Order: sequence, then structure tokens, then C-alpha cells
Amino acid sequence: MTLSSIKKIALKVVCFLFASIYLISFNLHANDAQMKSLINDITKMYMSSMVYVFKSQPIINDKNIDKKELLGKRFIDNIKQTYLAKYNEEFPKEDHFVKTVLLQAMVEVMDDNKALLYDDEIGFKGIIPATFAFQLSAKLSTKGVGLKIKFTRTAGQIRNKLNRPDSWESSVMKKIQNNPKIYYDENALLNGRPAIRQFTPLPMAHYCLACHGIPDNNPLNAGKKRSEWTNIDITGFEMENWTIDDFGGGVSISIEKSVLE
Amino acid sequence: MVFAKKVKKIYCLSVLSLFSFVSLSQTLTVGFIDFPPHIALHEEYKDSPLYQYINEVFLQADFNVVYVKLPRERAFTELIKGRVDVLMPTSIPSNHETVRTLSFPLFHTVPGLCFKKENYIPILSATHRFEKLNIGVPAGSQLVAALTDSQANLIPLKGEDVTSRGVELTQRGRLDAFYHPSPVKVYHQENPLYKEVACSYFHGYSTPIYIAIANTMSKETFTAINQIFQKAMLEEPYEYYFAMRK
Repeated sequence: MTLSSIKKIALKVVCFLFASIYLISFNLHANDAQMKSLINDITKMYMSSMVYVFKSQPIINDKNIDKKELLGKRFIDNIKQTYLAKYNEEFPKEDHFVKTVLLQAMVEVMDDNKALLYDDEIGFKGIIPATFAFQLSAKLSTKGVGLKIKFTRTAGQIRNKLNRPDSWESSVMKKIQNNPKIYYDENALLNGRPAIRQFTPLPMAHYCLACHGIPDNNPLNAGKKRSEWTNIDITGFEMENWTIDDFGGGVSISIEKSVLE
Repeated sequence: MVFAKKVKKIYCLSVLSLFSFVSLSQTLTVGFIDFPPHIALHEEYKDSPLYQYINEVFLQADFNVVYVKLPRERAFTELIKGRVDVLMPTSIPSNHETVRTLSFPLFHTVPGLCFKKENYIPILSATHRFEKLNIGVPAGSQLVAALTDSQANLIPLKGEDVTSRGVELTQRGRLDAFYHPSPVKVYHQENPLYKEVACSYFHGYSTPIYIAIANTMSKETFTAINQIFQKAMLEEPYEYYFAMRK
């Protein structure tokens, strides 16, 4: 074997190695981008459903009106419209089964509430964004699909104990509380298994203050003398006196990596 | 390589023929327990969503199925003795922990409280609202921590029909509410009791409800049924099918 042929072979080997490294790194980046895109889509779908539930309070609570907009395919169509209006982009394609499971779970949650929705002897039904979000989280946890969604806030400020943050969520909120921004972790764990996790802070909105703000914000006090005001909100909890500048908690989404493969 | 492919093909064909042999040659006796609104045995049960879903699943697999209605008290005895092959829908009682089930739960139930409508509490995580309330609980039943840790007075309800007793006492004002492991059985629009009470749920405390299988069933038949059920549930989960029904 001549020196030049050895050089040629060496060059080919080096080229092959570089090409392999490039392809592997390209693939890793592509997977990373896909994972981020999926978790973003899930977050925005979930948040759109909460917004739609907020906007639908009159339909939810009014008596003797049709509730079809809140059920089945119509409910999903309304969430899609809300998504379009909120993010100014088309609703994500159902190109991953976790998105399908999420949409199915939304329909199932509203159907679980069907008897209550149609009960004309009950005024306030208690189907508000936070309770809808929790019911959806609870429903997803029964599906065994490696997707966990939680609407949470710093410990000690949680009304529903089952919504308390885990250690990952607590540490993330500690980091971002003063400078709220999306926190993405591609090397986290869920149920002891490798997972991607994302925490999306929610800015406090005026509608949050109707329950969590001060008695001035409480719709139950509207038109009453100040001496007759209550600091108990419509859901039966004591109001927290939060303001529009307070940290609003956020949406925590975790997806097991095995689901993404 | 070609040989390996042939072996794989022969293996696949053998498995498929085994399943078709299992399904075509076997009659399954499927027992239903009353579980409204999923299956209501006092009505024409073939109109129930659970019957329609399950029948469709078994039809696809060409099983010859005989359906029987069973009272809850006798249902597990029938299963254990092998007089029914399949029993649904059911949670597994603690004294029947050895009973086999299909790998996917059919659906989940969530416990809750049923109130007289004017006293309705919609959000049960507001446990401070239970303080001093008289809440009837079926004697000996397992309760959720949110209730046992609250300041409610828990009053045991005894008798065969605890639900009717709970409704009656709530209506008469002797109870503020009563606990039900699955209030959906009471609080659904087809039930006359829908007019009497309103129920809310302890979300986050769900119980899986399964399809139980007789221990006398062969492994091959079990595998075949499990696979067709798993496939059906992945295509359209029962809970979604139920939610989308007309």
C-alpha cells in the first residue's frame, strides 16, 4: 500500500467521522426542537382551554340556556377559535398522540360536568378556569400516557392541596418569580423516568382578582354597602388580597421522553 | 435473511390463526353489573353506551358472546366459579384481589358529596366549608382524606340501599350531604333522583373500573381479549366514546 493510498483512506475515514458527528448532532437538535415544539403546543392548547372556560362563565352558569357549545366537538372548536384569537396562529395539528389525548380529555371533563351544567336549580356551578384545569390534570393522570399538566403556584398559596408544586416546580418558581419567563428543562424526571418539563408563568389577570384579589374586586360585593362586603369569594374561599403585580403562578407541563420516541 | 423473513411470516400467521381459532371457536359469557349511566340494567341494557361499545369490540373479533345481567352481590361468585368469563364494570373489592382484569381500566370513577340543591357546595377542595356539616357516609366505606381530615360530622349510614337513605335524610334536613363513591350513578340526567340532589366531586381521588376476567379462562383467550380491548381503547377510549355519544 502506497503512502498516497493510505492518505486517501485516512481522509475518507475523517470525512466519514465528521459526517457522522454532523448527522448525529443534527438529529439531536431536530429532536430537541420537536420536543420543545410539542411542549409549547400542549401549553398553549391547555391555556386556550382555560381562557375559553373563563369566557364561557355566562353559558356555564346561566339557567335555561343551551350548553352545547361546552360539549363534544363544539367545545374543541371553540377552544381552537380561542387559540387563534389568543396567539394569532392556527391551532396545532394533531400530529402526536399526546395532543389527541389532551383534546379527548377536555371533552371528557366537560361531559363529566354535564349533569351539573344542565341543572337549572344550581346557579354558580364552580366550573372556573382553575377547577377545569385541575379536573383536566386529574383526568390526564389516569390515562397513563406520560403527560402531566398542572396549574400551580408557590407552596403556601395554594387553595387545593393536590395542586401543590413538586420540588422541580418550587425551584423553578424561585428562580423566575421576580423575572417571570418560560423555563424549559430537557433533562428532568417524571415519575423517576427521563422527561422534558416546561413551566410557563401566567401573568396575573384582572379576572384572577375577582377571587384572589381584595374585597373591592369581589363581584359578590357589587352594589352593596362597604359594611356589608365580604372577603369570601364566590367559590367559598377567603380572598388572598393579591394585586395585578403579584406572581400568578403558572402552567407546569411534563412529558416522559419515552412518549416522544 | 430470506429464511429469517419466512420464519417471521410463519410465526405471524401462526399467531393470527391462533387468535382466529380462539375467537371463532369460543363462546364468551359476559356479565354486566348495573352501573348507570354506563349500563342501566333496569332499562333496555342494549341501549346503554357500555353495552354498545363492548359489543362492537367483541363483534370485530368474531367472538360469540352471550350477555347476562348480574346483581352486584352475586356477580363475583359467578366469575370465580367460571360461570361467567367476563364481568364488567367493576372495581376490584379487597376480598377479591386475586381476580384478573384486562390491562386497561375501562373508565374511572371519582367520589363526591351529594347535597340538597339549595345547600350545594361546588368545589370540594374548599374543605373549610364542611365544618359542622352533618355528612352521611356508608358504614365501613373507605373515605377520601379531604373528608376525614375536615371538621365535618361524619354519620354512618347503614342498610341495604344507602343511597336512597342518604337522599331521604338529606331531603328531610337530617343530613347536609351524603358521601357517594361514585355520585355519577345518582347525579345524571336520566335518573329521577337528579331532581332531588346535586353532587360535586373530590377530583384527584379516582378509582379505576375494570373488566374482570375469570381465572378459568385460558391464557390464549385472555391475551386475545386483552389485545382487542387494548386496540379499541387506543383507537377510541371508552370515556371519550361515552362523552361523544348523542
